[in-house]
Amino acid sequence: MSQERDRIPWVIKYRPKKLDDVVNQEEAKEKVLEWFKKWPNVQKKALLLYGPPGCGKTSLVEAIANEFGYELLEMNASDFRRKEDIERIAVRSSTIQSLFGSEKKKIILLDEVDGIATKEDAGALDAIKHLVEVTKTPIIMTANNPWDQKLRPLRELAEFIQFRKLEKRDLIKLLLRICSAEKLKCDEKALEYIVERAEGDARAAINDLQAVGEGFGEVSLERAKALLRPRDKERDPFETLRAIFSASYAWQAKNALNQSQLDYEQLRLWLEENIPLQYTNLGDVARAYEFLSKADTYLGRIVRSGDWDLLTYSIDLMTAGIAVAAKNNPKDKFRWTKYNFPQRISLMSKLKEVREVREDLAKIISQNLHISTSAAKSDVIPILRVIFLTNPDYAARIAIGLGLSEKMIELLAGSNKTNVMSYYKKYKEIMEKEAKRELGSVTHGEGDKHKKSKPKPEDKKEKRDLLSFSKKS
Amino acid sequence: MSAKIAEMLWVEKYRPKSLKEMVNQEEIVTRLMKFVEEKNMPHLLFAGPPGTGKTTAALALAHDLYGEDWRRYVLELNASDERGITVIRSKVKEFARSKITGEVPFKIVILDEADNMTADAQQALRRIMEMYVETTRFILIANYASKIIDPIQSRCASFRFVQLKKEDVVSRLKWICGQENVVCHDDGLEAIYEISGGDLRKAINILQAAAALGEVTVANVYKVVGLAHPKEIREILNLALSGRFIEARDKLRELMVIYGLSGVDVLKQMHRELFSADLKIPEDLRVMIADYIGEIHFRIVEGADDEIQLTALLARLSLLGKK
Repeated sequence: MSQERDRIPWVIKYRPKKLDDVVNQEEAKEKVLEWFKKWPNVQKKALLLYGPPGCGKTSLVEAIANEFGYELLEMNASDFRRKEDIERIAVRSSTIQSLFGSEKKKIILLDEVDGIATKEDAGALDAIKHLVEVTKTPIIMTANNPWDQKLRPLRELAEFIQFRKLEKRDLIKLLLRICSAEKLKCDEKALEYIVERAEGDARAAINDLQAVGEGFGEVSLERAKALLRPRDKERDPFETLRAIFSASYAWQAKNALNQSQLDYEQLRLWLEENIPLQYTNLGDVARAYEFLSKADTYLGRIVRSGDWDLLTYSIDLMTAGIAVAAKNNPKDKFRWTKYNFPQRISLMSKLKEVREVREDLAKIISQNLHISTSAAKSDVIPILRVIFLTNPDYAARIAIGLGLSEKMIELLAGSNKTNVMSYYKKYKEIMEKEAKRELGSVTHGEGDKHKKSKPKPEDKKEKRDLLSFSKKS
Repeated sequence: MSAKIAEMLWVEKYRPKSLKEMVNQEEIVTRLMKFVEEKNMPHLLFAGPPGTGKTTAALALAHDLYGEDWRRYVLELNASDERGITVIRSKVKEFARSKITGEVPFKIVILDEADNMTADAQQALRRIMEMYVETTRFILIANYASKIIDPIQSRCASFRFVQLKKEDVVSRLKWICGQENVVCHDDGLEAIYEISGGDLRKAINILQAAAALGEVTVANVYKVVGLAHPKEIREILNLALSGRFIEARDKLRELMVIYGLSGVDVLKQMHRELFSADLKIPEDLRVMIADYIGEIHFRIVEGADDEIQLTALLARLSLLGKK
């Protein structure tokens, strides 16, 4: 019996069960609780808790479920996360609740969402998005790396809450508690060594403690050093930038990318954004951008030639190149800088929509005027913009003539959009009335027409009907 | 009433529907009318500068051959939009498959901007033209006949469209103004001619926008041109050259989002601004900047990222401006 119990990993055995057991995350805890208690009267129906591994994100959710008597519907990286799996959990969470009113209330926990593989878990993110939009159950997600490109679509849907790395003294306290529960004699130096290595990751610290202590009755520094080698840690984007800018040697800068959560594609965007924040001297800024520009050119050449051997030069330039660029003001290298998230990434989704609208508009124009879409974009759209900016009445009539959508009108009119739209709506109403009246006159006024039966008005009538018909369709 | 509400673009509204309505390129039109009479024609190649009536002539020819529902017998393709010869082949094949029963025993494929095709694609096109010649005739439209490979040229009857004369453009614009009840001034119309460089399509577009501002005056014509070309490019240049790099960069991003300009578009416009008298910088600096714009242009052509390259350019300008 006792043997059985001992086989449980300590990380599970000593998992926080109450809210108070989750340490050093007061700010996050407060935010999560406030959101949870207000639910469903919250701005965003989902949370995304992010922070380094082992700082208590999942534990906090479990503790909440425990204390408030909720059932936890959990999916994590080891589960399949195909679209169907997520849809199934969504169905489970909502339907059971409504069928049996007395059932326990539920929380959906999607653990490690940044671990979703975009290829294998095809459609999973869309399914999550959909789930958040329709959910009747609080949804909490966790992730290590909130900057992951994949998570971009979730930024608008979920509130992001940061968890901090645990402090050393918190971890020491935690380990001491486990030692006493497990009746282990422990050397404080050994605990410090373990905690140092864990870099704020409680899960790693407990695992190491178990490895060093279990079965030996004691935790000694000697054995800790023998068993545990220093761990490689991934740097988040901010740490990566700091490491690159402050590198004194080329190899340091190059290493910074090896140990980063960013890949070279992402790094170039982070650098594009942040070079002028770190470096202040224009000469240094220009030099750094020149290296970035060349690094980027190599990436283009790789795509053109298919020769991946070129990648190394690109990386040299965007790491070491950036580090050595601060010649005029080398002190800037070590200046503390608040880095920005690349604006481009946040603009991208907006851009995409605008681009699609513009493409559709160009297509309409190209068919209308028998020109290529690129000529439509470069020659005609600028002219239309002038009309839409300056003459809303006329613009509305052109919009009707060409059959433009509201988005296209917005694209062309910019700040003048409301003016154009009000004319547009007015004209649409008139046209609808016309169409109705003419429909009426065709059925009721048959007799009248025959009296005057001259070909000319007939012709006119026909044309009009054709027109109003085509407008409706 | 409805018909009055919906407004068209004048380029289309006043495009001659039939060869009889065409007022320019008289010799070509006369020849094309003969094809209509005979109800037969070879493959045709229309070459000439933009806005001289090539597309209009092709459409009018089709109209006169087939009558009001000419569209059923015509496939319009644009070589710069229909990427790849295989797309063209499959579209042409499908189009040519059904036989037609009318008096005219063939259909027409109008291939616009044919000079944008690579030599390889043109070789493939040549075979397509041969394969379907029984049922399908091609009208190729190009700015430069010299960019069309010889074997295609030799299979086509070639027509060279000439630049429209100033009087022709102005009188056409004046006629449109009369149709539209728009007040126009001669110097305004002449300004349009100068700006459009004899390109009638461009001229009519400018005319319509100027008319939307009220009367067609010189002032309104230049207002249209000013509004149509983003003045932000000059602002960006000035910001960068006065060392305000971050502001210049933010403005650049905004511009690329709003206007959807590509990196090369921006570079071309910058280059134009660079040599305008409104930009007050030393002459040697203009040359240095031109060199760097060219270098950045080349990097983009090599596949580099538009925004990173332009940002690097702005950083360099900020430095050059300071010196």
